[in-house]
Amino acid sequence: MNSSVSRNPQELLDRYLQAVRFWLPRTSRQEDVLAELGEDLRSQIDEKETELGRSLNQDEVSSILKRCGSPMMVAGRLGPKRHLIGPTLFPIYAFVLKMVLLWILVPVFVFIIGPVNLANAGGEWGPAVATTLANLWFALFIAAGIITLVFAIVERTSVHLGEECKWDPLKLPPVRTHERKTSFAKSACELIFGLFGLVWLLLLPHYPFMILGPAAAFLKAAPIWHTFYIPILLLALVGLLRSAITLARPEWTAFPLWSHLLQNVLTFAVLSFLINAAHGSNGAWQPFLLPDNAASNSTHYMQAAGFVNLSILLGLAGTWLGLCIASVIQVWQLLMYLRKRISGAHQPATLAH
Amino acid sequence: MSNGTNHDTELFENLKLELRRGCLIVAVLAQLRAEQYGYTLRKALADDGLAIDEGTLYPLLRRLETQGLLVSQWREEDKRNKRFYRLSPVGEQILEQLLDEWKSINASLDRILQEAGRI
Repeated sequence: MNSSVSRNPQELLDRYLQAVRFWLPRTSRQEDVLAELGEDLRSQIDEKETELGRSLNQDEVSSILKRCGSPMMVAGRLGPKRHLIGPTLFPIYAFVLKMVLLWILVPVFVFIIGPVNLANAGGEWGPAVATTLANLWFALFIAAGIITLVFAIVERTSVHLGEECKWDPLKLPPVRTHERKTSFAKSACELIFGLFGLVWLLLLPHYPFMILGPAAAFLKAAPIWHTFYIPILLLALVGLLRSAITLARPEWTAFPLWSHLLQNVLTFAVLSFLINAAHGSNGAWQPFLLPDNAASNSTHYMQAAGFVNLSILLGLAGTWLGLCIASVIQVWQLLMYLRKRISGAHQPATLAH
Repeated sequence: MSNGTNHDTELFENLKLELRRGCLIVAVLAQLRAEQYGYTLRKALADDGLAIDEGTLYPLLRRLETQGLLVSQWREEDKRNKRFYRLSPVGEQILEQLLDEWKSINASLDRILQEAGRI
């Protein structure tokens, strides 16, 4: 047998182990894992050689290595089991991701950045939509990356809430029949986001870029907001109070239903007054945003302000319509709840429904 | 049609994997009442009808060792370094308990299957 042929199978095995080493995490056990895998493969080669009564050629060794699996796959199975975001944090991660991407970034791009891009493009829809979509894609990508990174760091550093150890069965709320259960996680998230929303609202007059983005350089709030800022702030406070009570008193199962309805009715009222005020007595629409003093002489900025005002008006009209539908649904839910409550009062309580 | 067959096959493979997982631990612990190294252990299990690949066996051995059920030692044999595993005293106790549990589960399953057969 030629010496180069007899050396090749061993060299092939070494190359295979080197490739597995590349994919294995550099822990103290890396060498241990590799030595054990190498020994197993050498034993397989030895056994085959004993069976055939000769040394194996490169193809025969190759088929043993192929059966073992690709280096990346083998390293994945032999290495420690890891995940970027584990099952404990994943529901919160998915919730935050959905909130930020769908409920914050998309509306900001549709109602603020989009109209500004439309004005910058001189009213041409094609380039404006393309630019907005490109900007939105970039912003979604960056936001998703940052959120994932933060959660991955939390996962890696094991800064968990420890809810699993802290909970006490004796502190669980009493059993209620025929009642809608309010999720603790949902109430807590509502409270946290309500707090963030309130802080954001309080900061807005001082830092308009928090809502206008780059358009804050040439746009400012119109006087109409001076009248409606306090009612909007009070609405946010009502929402916060509602979330706090829902969290503190989960056994008040009717409270979330009627308080949500009440909050929607109040919002509906404020919104109706706002739209009425914007319409004005002379029939002309009042602006929600005005060009800054420096930009007030520029046709370009006036046009941009016009687009943004139109999109805000459409947004408010859409919200008004959404609130009407939501209120009808909530009234129906409240009626269903009351009907169940009344019929449930005549039946014995049971856990099995 | 073929999608349904593929789904059934995949479902069966997943359930088989779950069923085998617990059994493999008992089989490995039982085999390691006598000291063995990885390859001979794999061969012994395969000869008895429980084939297991490298990617499954070695992480399992490390996990059982971390849990204190096995002890291991690198030693030279036939001019090659090999890692030998055997059951620890704790492992022996746990194995006895697991075998009792296994017999009890087996008996229960037999009874359930017989009763189901009667119906």
